[in-house]
Amino acid sequence: MSTTALLLLLVLVGLLTYLYRYAMIGLFASRSLPRWLHALCLHIAPASFAALTASALFVAGGEVVFAFDTPRPWAALVAVLVAWRTRNVLATIGAGMAALYLLKLLFPT
Amino acid sequence: MAHTGTSARREFLAGCRDEAPLLLGVAPFGMIYGIAALAAGVPAWLAQLASAIVFAGAAQLVIVQMLAAGAGFIPIALTSGLLNLRHVLYSASMAEYVRHLPRRWRLLLAYVLTDEAYAVAVLRYQQRHAAAADHAEHTNATADLRHWYFLGAGFTLWAGWQLSTAAGLLFGTTIPPEWELDFAVPLTFIALLTLLLRERAGQAAALVAGLGALAFAALPYKLGLVAAIVLGLAAGAWTVRRLEQAR
Repeated sequence: MSTTALLLLLVLVGLLTYLYRYAMIGLFASRSLPRWLHALCLHIAPASFAALTASALFVAGGEVVFAFDTPRPWAALVAVLVAWRTRNVLATIGAGMAALYLLKLLFPT
Repeated sequence: MAHTGTSARREFLAGCRDEAPLLLGVAPFGMIYGIAALAAGVPAWLAQLASAIVFAGAAQLVIVQMLAAGAGFIPIALTSGLLNLRHVLYSASMAEYVRHLPRRWRLLLAYVLTDEAYAVAVLRYQQRHAAAADHAEHTNATADLRHWYFLGAGFTLWAGWQLSTAAGLLFGTTIPPEWELDFAVPLTFIALLTLLLRERAGQAAALVAGLGALAFAALPYKLGLVAAIVLGLAAGAWTVRRLEQAR
């Protein structure tokens, strides 16, 4: 993507995000949030993060690749376990990176 | 009026002070974002500018992650546009507290209405709400200056986000690619996802979206991600209805 296109994209997303933030305190200040929109908002983050994680781990060049002979899926598994046990974001990132380095050290390619 | 001036400043500084501890949690994300942006080929000035115009950590990480994966303009716009929709929730939740303010104040506060500023400011509003019920006469006598507190919290987070982005951009140039620090982005998503998976409908949305991302992997420009998220949302809505019917 060209720098100009990227700038345009960022301005667009920024503008949209600002409109979301201003929506209920400015544009529709006298109205309450519809129930369906409320429910939708609650599920957007889990759906987005799940899709992005799956894609980052198992999609390469438009193809599904389960590369279990590389360190990343296993480091991600360690991160999932740490996230589940500790519910701590920084501990999760730290454990995932540590697992990645350890695996690379133990099984150099 | 001089008295109101000092009280406003005191509220602003109290907001800054209460927001400050949250910067410990925010700064690593800003740095990860800066490093990942450089790795994805985003010019440093544009990555820094994005922190000012988008000012939403999760969406910025998503944009950078998708850029690195070679996604196109429209899929990135749709995905980050959808992800940020949750800010409507914060806006709705803040509405009752800021509705009475002049428009210029609401325009300003909307800009700093992020996850972390919301979390701190809403606590202050709820605290004082409870206190106001106890001492109605007292709070009527003093002017309501809590929007200064909100602004202080928002400004502190804004400054912290800009600085940590800058730090990531500075470090990013010196870190060798073998460190694979871009891997911190999916790890961040894993951590946030785990925190979010509290109820059944959210779990269904995540599961379907995750499988969908694999099923639609072949779609061009990473449009499969958008399809997967929409399908996940449908699964979430369907689960909510099923649970309501079962009750």
